[in-house]
Amino acid sequence: MVDLPGRPSRRSFLKATVASAAVTSIPIGMPHAKAAELPSLDAYKPVYFDAAEWSFILAACARLIPSDGEGPGAIETRVPVFIDLQLAGDFGKAADWYMEGPHTPDANPLLGFQSPLTPAEIYRKAIPVFQDWCKTTHGDAFEKLDPETQDAALTSLEKGEVKLAPELRDFFSFLLQNTKEGYFADPMYGGNHGMQAWVHVGFPGARGSYTEWVHNYNAEYPLGPVSISGERA
Amino acid sequence: MARQDPKKDVVVIGLGWTGSIMSMELAQEGLEVLALERGDDRNTVPDFQYPNIIDELKYGIRYELMQKPRKSTLTIRHGLDDTALPYRHLGSFLPGDGVGGAGAHWNGQNWRPQEPEYRLRSYVEETFGADIIPEGMTIQDWGVTYEELEPYFDQFEKVAGISGKAGNLNGEIIEGGNPFEAPRSSEYPMPPLPHTYDADLFSKAAKAKGLHPFPRPSANASEAYTNPYGMQLGPCNFCGFCERFGCLNYSKSSPQVCILDALKRKPNFSYKTNSEVLKIEKADDGKTVTGVTYFDEKANEEVFQPADLVLLCAYSLHNVHLLLLSGIGQPYDPATGEGVVGKNYAYQMTGGTRLYFKDKQFNPFIGTGSNGISIDDYSISQIDFAKEGFIGGSYITAGQTNGRPIQSMPLPPGTPKWGKAWKEAAGEWYGRSMAIGSHGSNMSYRDCYLDLDPTYTDRHGRPLMRMTFNWKQNDIRMTQFMKARIEEIAQSMNPDMIASGYKKEGSQYDVRPYQSTHNVGGAIMGAERKTSVLNKYLQHWDCHNLFVMGASAYPQNIQYNPTGALGGLAYWSAAAIRKDYLANPRPLV
Amino acid sequence: MKTLFRIVAVLVVIGLAALAAIIFVPVQRTEPTEKLAADWKAPEGLGKYDARMADCAACHTEPGGKPFAGGRTIESPMGDIYTPNITPDKETGIGTWSLADFRAALVDGVDDEGHHLYPAMPYENYRHMSETDIRAMYDYFMHDVEPVKNEVAQTKLPFPFNQRWGIRLWNWVTLGKPGFKPASEKIAGDEQLSRGAYLVQVLGHCGSCHSPRNAVMAQDGSNETDAKFLTGGAIGGWSAPDLRGPKSAPQQWSADELKMYLTAGRNAHSAVAGEMKLAVEESLQYMSEKDADAMVAYLRAIGTDGPAPAEAPAKRDQNPAGTVARIDAADDATTVKLKKAVDLTEGERLYIDNCGACHFADGRGAPEVFPSLPGNAAVVAKETGGLIHTILYGAEMPSTSKRPMKLRMPGFAPRLSDDDVAKLATFLRGAWGNEAGPVTAAEVAKERKTPTEASH
Repeated sequence: MVDLPGRPSRRSFLKATVASAAVTSIPIGMPHAKAAELPSLDAYKPVYFDAAEWSFILAACARLIPSDGEGPGAIETRVPVFIDLQLAGDFGKAADWYMEGPHTPDANPLLGFQSPLTPAEIYRKAIPVFQDWCKTTHGDAFEKLDPETQDAALTSLEKGEVKLAPELRDFFSFLLQNTKEGYFADPMYGGNHGMQAWVHVGFPGARGSYTEWVHNYNAEYPLGPVSISGERA
Repeated sequence: MARQDPKKDVVVIGLGWTGSIMSMELAQEGLEVLALERGDDRNTVPDFQYPNIIDELKYGIRYELMQKPRKSTLTIRHGLDDTALPYRHLGSFLPGDGVGGAGAHWNGQNWRPQEPEYRLRSYVEETFGADIIPEGMTIQDWGVTYEELEPYFDQFEKVAGISGKAGNLNGEIIEGGNPFEAPRSSEYPMPPLPHTYDADLFSKAAKAKGLHPFPRPSANASEAYTNPYGMQLGPCNFCGFCERFGCLNYSKSSPQVCILDALKRKPNFSYKTNSEVLKIEKADDGKTVTGVTYFDEKANEEVFQPADLVLLCAYSLHNVHLLLLSGIGQPYDPATGEGVVGKNYAYQMTGGTRLYFKDKQFNPFIGTGSNGISIDDYSISQIDFAKEGFIGGSYITAGQTNGRPIQSMPLPPGTPKWGKAWKEAAGEWYGRSMAIGSHGSNMSYRDCYLDLDPTYTDRHGRPLMRMTFNWKQNDIRMTQFMKARIEEIAQSMNPDMIASGYKKEGSQYDVRPYQSTHNVGGAIMGAERKTSVLNKYLQHWDCHNLFVMGASAYPQNIQYNPTGALGGLAYWSAAAIRKDYLANPRPLV
Repeated sequence: MKTLFRIVAVLVVIGLAALAAIIFVPVQRTEPTEKLAADWKAPEGLGKYDARMADCAACHTEPGGKPFAGGRTIESPMGDIYTPNITPDKETGIGTWSLADFRAALVDGVDDEGHHLYPAMPYENYRHMSETDIRAMYDYFMHDVEPVKNEVAQTKLPFPFNQRWGIRLWNWVTLGKPGFKPASEKIAGDEQLSRGAYLVQVLGHCGSCHSPRNAVMAQDGSNETDAKFLTGGAIGGWSAPDLRGPKSAPQQWSADELKMYLTAGRNAHSAVAGEMKLAVEESLQYMSEKDADAMVAYLRAIGTDGPAPAEAPAKRDQNPAGTVARIDAADDATTVKLKKAVDLTEGERLYIDNCGACHFADGRGAPEVFPSLPGNAAVVAKETGGLIHTILYGAEMPSTSKRPMKLRMPGFAPRLSDDDVAKLATFLRGAWGNEAGPVTAAEVAKERKTPTEASH
């Protein structure tokens, strides 16, 4: 298409001025409809966790949402990666939370989180305590135990039978909540790989458009999910 | 030394629903209006744009659009003898911040209170006798009547663009609407929102029991709409990302969608974001205020902004906090019952029953914030308080709002919280349950109140506000009454299983699970200076050029979601300022 | 052979002489077409109004700059043109210009020193401006516009485009008689239609985008008696739609809807985008009701197949029970398939995943809020740039006094690959009865390189 010689094309003017900014601010990649091939979990280099913590997280996630039975487990959906990235980020740092003292970590639980520690610090301090408990009670580190014993150990942790200092008492609830978050959050956060957890329950992800289905009562919804980045399943 | 800026006619604190309404109404008078907003600027695009907003983790779980406790929070305790502790991360309630305030990320359930709710104490005394009011319950009349407010509810509903079906048009009961609502002068601006399968089943069951189901009044548009400011709504698409999210579709009424682009065209209106007001400054004689001091984050300095008129339009809790910090009005003392600021803090009593059906598919992701069918057969105006042994009422609703899997994964009772059984139950049951909920009133009490905390401070070094609150027997009785009614309806629907969650005898207030962001009271309106902070026009009794908007004015909580009521009150107050106050600034009562 | 040489020599001499005349003989300025009284004064506000209707700010105000201080860059195939400062600043603006200088710029396309202006300045249209409007605008620019000192960079086009005398030839070929007279009796006999014709042809210079270009790149047709006038043009890869054919908007829409489109930037069918967004934002929204009615009446009167029917085809229906009911009831093939959502093509799936939230399964969006896609001029346009650009970078409706909301469609460039956009656009161009050709990934790749205003 040719513009008239000298014809003011305000549009082309705008092109020129914003092009450079846009190129740097908009990731003009080629979004892919399929989940990207990623290195295996063993090859993943954690951002927050050290090697010992990472072994524990892999093993704990594998029991909280195991791979056997119907539906994907935490390992296939890369939940441990999600937890690692969350703890390295604002959530792990309690960036949005009120963290001023004085702290009363043994307060009535109904009054909510009162630990002086951030979630990332709680994971760091609680994992060794739990590992020591596993060794004393079950004879080995958590990841070395058989699955049934691991489940028993996690149940003890959940029920408060593992003696944790009051400032660590939210450890299990963080671990479980973060595991479920990683299972169901958009894949861009590292978990829910291939949107498998959404497919498993039948959640269509980031579609946000159901007008034509409002009156389609008691019918199975036929479409698979789409992610924020445009990945389709 | 604070910077001093040139004087404005009006300073508005907070640019949410009421701040936007008041700015618009007074800018229309030609006044120079400056709005100061503590949070960030926000626009539908880019802040709520598709697909980025369809992100449960960021907005629904990490609360991207909410107030950050690090910047502002409060302390909470159950009783007068307890030590309050900070509300360190969000749980029970989610105050908003940023332009649009909570009006950007609400569900959009838009109600008018019933006539008796505005004169609750008189209604109870006249109808059932003063002796049924329990010791320590401090309910009051509002000092304003439904009849006075009706034209302003109508105005707010036309600005917000509400979808619904009238049940009482000028006293005439209309089939299909809510027969127990107070009389309306006009039909809703838009036809009712269609409803999902769960609501349809509930509606049929309620009707079979002789109850009166009607479509929930909705600030999610059922069609395209243009409001009196020329602002526009698009039809809701049931995306399932309503409360906690900004609307991607221009469908949920909000200051952004209903007011702000029109307001921003006015040359006599301006606004500043990231500008937290630290104090409202009182004149030497104590009878007026002279302006506000705020912290300008961009300039990193305190600024004194003089103004002839100060409108306090922040979230209800912040309204009270700012009055306490500014030393305006006498703080309430629960020991003596004297004083007013902080008095009658109240919350919302909610509960619900979930119904599991092996052979039904609800597709719970098809939802919106005010989807559904309600009944008002057990509302405040319909209950014999003397007989039932409590004061209050509730509306009852079914209508799914979302199927976001992190937040909304209800599984049958007895399902483990993790492991293979949890995973498989999630796959099996995600789409196979529905809920019937009770949204009920909460009365005010002598020892439920707000004051300044003696220990904890905010980032500016100011004392945090302290909330003293717990559940009381009267309201627990009310919710248990609703539980029985709801379970009757639920059983009639033949579910495979049900699970109920209601406060019961001995329940203590738990700040952890989300319950409701309907925190009311603390700067209450009323007929008498001695027992309220504001007169019937929301004008401060002590300083006549200070008006305080919002649900902090409610003397006890209504049985409905509070936004419709505070929208109407804002227009009522704006009309009083425009028609009466501006020409002759003085106490209007 | 000799004879031939002589003839050529003579022609060369004549040619050189003519060239010399073209280059060196000063341009004769056109005299005023009307004599106004010496003490004539423009009615209050007329000059400002005319300047808005002529959309002077669009080119002479830089984005974020002072009004009329110039400096806006106009990209042309020949190189960048910098628009001059037209504030009354004496050193850098037009503060020293006489009325005659000002008139000559509008009517003859020459500046105060007799240099030719590039035809980026639409003097081809302004040439027909009334003397009262010229005087009113002159008074406005001299007295009401704030003088701004702003030295604008000199436009430096490469040879041969820097030889401005070439424009003189172009002017001889293209410029019509000065002043305005309705070209047909039907228009001349009706005061409203005459006013509408003047607004469309002259002040609003609608034809500069909406008419095709002829062999010398001049506007093909200047009034309704010319067959090609306003039958559609193209600008920067976008189609400027036909305004006269039986399927054109002025023929299809009601008068009220056309007026809403022009003054509010949106109506029950569509919304402005691209260049037209700027025209509404900076010019058309300020039209008086009377002028808007006149413009609408004229546009509806000049259909190539006759005037638009008094009762326009039915307004886009809104189901009285709301949008869901409307979509439930829709039974065309595309909508039925999207509602069923099984065995979808990739284009259909992409539509549901990216567009359905606002435009819905029936593609009809919502009046004034979400443009309707069936039959939408931008969707089915011959030039696909507008559609592709809108998908990639979004679009925003201008804030107008009737409809203040800057309704904005987000861009999908980060979410959709070139292939995705091509499949999606191809679907749109064939859905709900649309019958336009496919779009290729290569076309998308080209547009992706040029983000527009919607992406800042």
